[in-house]
Amino acid sequence: MARFKNKRNKKVVAKPPAAKKQPNVDQVTGDKIPKSFVFSRGKLPGPLKQLELDLRKVMLPYTALKLREKKRNNLKDFLNVAGPMGVTHFLMLSNPRSVPHLRVARTPRGPTLIFEIHGYALANDVARSQARPRCPQELFKNSPLIVLSGFGGGGQHLKLATIMFQNIFPAIDINTVNLSACQRIVLLNYNSETKLIDFRHYSIRLQPVGVSRRIRKFVQSHQVPDLRGLQDVSDFVTKAGYASESEVDEDTATVSLASDLGRVNRASTKSAIKLQEIGPRMTIRLVKIEEGLCSGGVIFTEFGKEAAEANQEADEEAQQEA
Amino acid sequence: MPAEVESPEATTAIAASKKRKQNHKKGKHPNKKIKKAPPAMAAAAKHNNRSKKMIKLFRKRAREYNSDDDDDHDEEQPTAGLRDSGAEARQDREDAASSEDSGDEEEGQKGLDSEDDFSGDSEGDDEDEGDRARQRITKFAEGSRAFRVAFMKIMKKNLPNDPLGPVLSAHKNLVAEKLAEEEAEHKVKGEAKKEKHLAAEKGHVKPTNFLDAKEKSLISIATKGVVKLFNAVSKAQNPQRGLNPSKSKDAKVLAKQRKQTFLSELQKPTTQAPGNPSSFNSSMVTTFVPNSTSKEHSNEPGWAPLRDSYMLSSKFKDWDKMPDPAGAVDQENVSLESSSDEE
Repeated sequence: MARFKNKRNKKVVAKPPAAKKQPNVDQVTGDKIPKSFVFSRGKLPGPLKQLELDLRKVMLPYTALKLREKKRNNLKDFLNVAGPMGVTHFLMLSNPRSVPHLRVARTPRGPTLIFEIHGYALANDVARSQARPRCPQELFKNSPLIVLSGFGGGGQHLKLATIMFQNIFPAIDINTVNLSACQRIVLLNYNSETKLIDFRHYSIRLQPVGVSRRIRKFVQSHQVPDLRGLQDVSDFVTKAGYASESEVDEDTATVSLASDLGRVNRASTKSAIKLQEIGPRMTIRLVKIEEGLCSGGVIFTEFGKEAAEANQEADEEAQQEA
Repeated sequence: MPAEVESPEATTAIAASKKRKQNHKKGKHPNKKIKKAPPAMAAAAKHNNRSKKMIKLFRKRAREYNSDDDDDHDEEQPTAGLRDSGAEARQDREDAASSEDSGDEEEGQKGLDSEDDFSGDSEGDDEDEGDRARQRITKFAEGSRAFRVAFMKIMKKNLPNDPLGPVLSAHKNLVAEKLAEEEAEHKVKGEAKKEKHLAAEKGHVKPTNFLDAKEKSLISIATKGVVKLFNAVSKAQNPQRGLNPSKSKDAKVLAKQRKQTFLSELQKPTTQAPGNPSSFNSSMVTTFVPNSTSKEHSNEPGWAPLRDSYMLSSKFKDWDKMPDPAGAVDQENVSLESSSDEE
C-alpha cells in the first residue's frame, strides 16, 4: 500500500534534463526571467488540446514545450516542480460544462485570472487561411513582445491583468536589447464595450523601404536572377516591375534602425515593419480573479454576487471531477 | 507389353462404370480422372479391340455428358419454374407477409427437383447403348443451348423493386430486419458522434481568408506598438550621427564616448528611458516595467547586479496601491521581505 502511495506522490511531470541550462535571471537587466507551464485540467477535446500546444509555442522559449501531463496529476504536482525550475506562471486550459476556460496564474501564491474563451482559432487554421503562411523556426528562439491595448482607464481588475500579462514575458531593456531578437509580438486588445479581450500572435518582419521587390529578393535569396526578358543588365535594376508599394501606412509603419539587421535591413535606410499573424487567436473574457492559486477569496467577478457563488461552486465541482 | 498395362485400366474403367450404376452421382468425379488417359493409348496400341472398346468408351463418355446434360436439362426446367414460383411466392409474401409458407414451397420444389434428377439418370442408364450414345454426344451442344436459354430467361426476368435486390434466402425477412436494425443503430451512433463533435468544436472559429476591418485594426495597433518600441530602441542605442566608424579619428572619438557611457551606465540609475514610459503604460505597454520601477530608488547603480535588490524584486506585491513617490521606498522594502521566502 505504501509503495502505491509513494508512486502516486512521485512527480510525474517529466522534463528531459536541460541540455543547456536556461538562466533564471537576465544577464543584463538582472530581472528574474518568467517561465511558464501550459497544461490542461481535466479532459480536453481535440481542438482545445491543439490550442494548448499552440499556446506553449507562444510562450517559448521559457516554457516546457513537451510538458507531459497525466490524468492523475494535480495542481500540487505542477507546483512542486515549478519551484525548483523557477516557473513563475501557469496557463491552464479547462473545459468545464464544455465551455473552454483559460486560467492564468502566478505561482506559487496567485493571483489567478480566469478567462472564458469565447472563440479561438488554432495556428493551423490561421496558416490555412493565409496564401503564404510564414512561420520559420527561428521565430520561437526568442520570447515575444507584448502589447496591451485599451487596458487603461478600467477598474482594478484590468490593472491586475495588465501587470500579469506584462510579467508573463521577460522585460525588455531598450538600452541593451538586440532588435533581431524581436521577432514575435503578442497583442491583447481590450474592448471596453464588449469586455472582450482579443489575443493575437504576429510575426514581425522588416523590409527596406524604397527598394524594388526584385532587388530585395535578389539580396535576400542570393540566387541568380532570371534575366531572360531583359535587354540589358541595367534593366534589372531600373525596371520597376511590380510596384511593391502594397505597404500601407508608410509613415506609421517605418522605422530607422540603430544598427544593421541582417543583410537587407541597413541602419542607414528606413525599414517597414510588417506583421503577419501566426496564431493562435483567442477572444477571451475576464470572468473572475482569485486571490490564491486557483483558490482563495474572489477579488473580482464579472457576475453578481449570487452568480459568483454559484459559479464558484460549479467550478469547484468541475475541479473535483477533473 | 502395353496390352497388359492397358487391360487392367480398361477393367477398372468398366468396373467404374458398373459401380456407377449403383451410385450415379458419387462416382462421377473419380471417373473423370481415370478416364482421360486410356483412350489415346488404346487407340494407338490395339486395333482388334478397338471397335468394342471404342463403343464402350463412347458409351461411357456419353453417360458422362448425359449425366451433366440431363442434370442441366432436368434442372433447367424446374429451376425456371422455381424462379417463377419463387417470384410469385415473393409477391405473395409481400401481399400476405407470410414467409414460412413460401419457404416451404421452395423447399418442396427443391425436393421435386432432386427426384427428377434421379429418375432421369436411372432412365438413361437403363436404356440400350449404341446409337443412343452418339445421339447423346450430339446432345452436348443442345445442352449448352439449353443453358443459354435458361440464362437468358433469368437475365430477362423483371425483378420486383426491392432495396435488398434478389435474395434467394428463405430468411429474406430476417436479413431485411437485420439491415434495418443496423441502419438505425448506425444513425443513432452517428448522431451521438456529431453531438460530441459539436461540443468539442464549441468556440472553435475558423478564420476567414481575408483580413476584415477588425483584424486590420488589430494589426495596426500591434504595428504601432512595434514602431514605438523600435524607435525608442534606435533613439537609445543610436551612435553619434555624423561620425564614421571606419575613419580612425572618428573611431577614437566613438570609443571614448562608448567608454564614458558605459561608466555612466554603471554609476547612474537608468532613468533616461526615451519617451515617457508612463505614457506607454496607459495604452501601449511594451514591457518597460523595469525602467519605470527603477525610477524610484534614485541612488542605486544602473547595472542590475550592482543594485541591492538584484534578483529579489517582486512585482506582485501591493499591485492595487497607487504608485506614489512617497510610499515607493516602503513598497520596495515590503517586497524585499516577502521575496525572500518566495525564492
